[in-house]
This record gives sequence, structure tokens and C-alpha cells, in this order.
Amino acid sequence: MSAAQTVSIAAVKAGDVLSPISIPITLQRLVMEAGANRDLSLIHHDSRVAQATGAPDAFANTYFLMGMFERLMRQWAGPKARIRKIGPLRMMVFNAVGDTVQFVGTVESVDKAAGTVSLDMWVQSARGKTVTAKAVVELGD
Amino acid sequence: MSEPSWGLWGTWEETETFLGKEIGQSTGPDPVEKGSIRRWLEPKEFACDIHTDAEAAKAAGYEDLVAPASMVFSYGIAPYWRPGDKPAQIDDEPTQIPIPVIFDVPAPCDKSFATSIEVEFFEPLYPGDVVTCTSKLVDIKHKELRVGKGAFLRQEDTYTKQTGEVVAVSYLDIFRFVAPESEGASS
Repeated sequence: MSAAQTVSIAAVKAGDVLSPISIPITLQRLVMEAGANRDLSLIHHDSRVAQATGAPDAFANTYFLMGMFERLMRQWAGPKARIRKIGPLRMMVFNAVGDTVQFVGTVESVDKAAGTVSLDMWVQSARGKTVTAKAVVELGD
Repeated sequence: MSEPSWGLWGTWEETETFLGKEIGQSTGPDPVEKGSIRRWLEPKEFACDIHTDAEAAKAAGYEDLVAPASMVFSYGIAPYWRPGDKPAQIDDEPTQIPIPVIFDVPAPCDKSFATSIEVEFFEPLYPGDVVTCTSKLVDIKHKELRVGKGAFLRQEDTYTKQTGEVVAVSYLDIFRFVAPESEGASS
């Protein structure tokens, strides 16, 4: 990804689709993620503790979801874009070990005067729509 | 190993006394640097050179290599161990992520989970920056959900860097509750 790839606000319109990202949730990925993002709560890497809370297995934490939404936006908007806001991000269903989850997004609206784009994003898996998130990204000319 | 705790016990009257007040502050032990950024990108299969290469970041208008915006949360977490802490024992309660609205604010609840988060980003994070997170309890909304009776507690977190500049402000909603079968069992 290089600076030249940054999307121009003039070229963006409501309804544009961000290239979706699929990623498998494995216990190894959750362990790598917990070590890197410092959320060491047991529900995110210990199947027994997660299941005792009613979850099907250890499940992805909020910081992973935030980071993956950032990746989705960054891959679409390019390196010069500034991520201004993520949220509300709502977690409705677990993203657990064994699930392949897909991060998806569309352009909700464009504010050319402010140079910002509002995005509507979500996570989907075989369990349905598991997470929803809004976001605001500032783009260059 | 004992079971993890899901929150500090107390009455709703005690919870109310924390409303509008600072309930916690933590400073991350490590400054922003390339290695921790790479390890954060790795499990997300996230390839973007503004986060790994200073020249690419400068070409995109940043002062230096820039940390991903949502890494601010991780940089603001206090260490899980520091020199001088007592040695861990096998029966110790497992360490959870320190969320003040769960572990430092009393409530008559024995379970909790996060339902929603919203964050606005301001100043970018560059190598060498150190992040402090200051938390406030800003709202309490009582509610009965399918899982049990309790309240949504809203925690406002302000992330600043060593210069005092605000990096991000987030609002985290935590539902703290008692499941119907355990109601009245704890006091």
C-alpha cells in the first residue's frame, strides 16, 4: 500500500462497497492477539472459562474487532486517510474459535465540504451478523 | 486456580456515589515502538507501510512511522506485573483487563459484559509516545435484559500522551447484572 493509492473524496459515493476481509478465528490467533493488544481476560483465550459464561468457546475481544475494522477502512481508504471515529460498535453475537468471520463495509454518506466519509460496517459469520460499527474517515482531495 | 471475578460488589447507592467522578488512571509501561506495532498487525494480517516504515508514513503526511489509531487502547493499559509485586501463586484470581467501571466501582452484580464502544481519534501516536488513560463514570442506566437485571455503566476514557495532547476519547458501555437464578444469593 503506498501514498498514491489514497482514495479521493471526489471519487467516493454513498453505496460504495469496501473490499470485504475474511479471517478464521483460531485459538492461536486469539492468543497472538491477546499478547499483542494486552487484553488478557480469560474469556478471550481460555475455552473453559468462556464456556462457563455461556459462550460457545473463547471469543475475539473488542480490540481485535476495532483493529480489524481499522484494517478494512485503511485498505479501502489508503495511507493518507485519517480515521476519525469508530462507533458505536455493538457486539451482539460471539465471534468464537472455529468461526470464519467476514468484515464488511459500505459508504453511508459523503460530506465533501468537511472531507469526511461515514461508513456502515459489520461482521458476519455462520452465526449471522455478529457486530455492527459506524465510522468516520477523513479523506484527501 | 480460582475463578475470575466479574466485578466489585456493593449497593446501587454506592455505585451512584461514583457518578461523574474519576474512577481510574493508568499509564502504559512501554512507549510506542515498531516491535509492538508489528506484533499487533500480525494476528490481523494487516499490511500497511505507514505503520512499519517511517518514509512511507512521511510520504502520507505523518511526522514519523505512525501507530494504528486503535492501538491507543493497548498502549494505555498498566503492566500486569512490575518489579516489587508479590510472586504469583497458583490459587491467585486470574488477572483480567483492568476496566475501572467493573473492578473499581461497586455494584450489586456478579456478572458483566461489554455491549458497545465508541471512540474519537485526535492526535496520532508516534514512536516514543507514552499513553495515559483517565477513566470517569459518566452514566448509569438501570435495565432488565434476558440475561438478568442490572445496569449499563458508561465509562469515559480520555487517552493523552506525555505532552498532554489528547489522542482519543472513548465511551465504553458495560452491562453489570445478576442472573435470575443467582439473584439474592450474594450479598
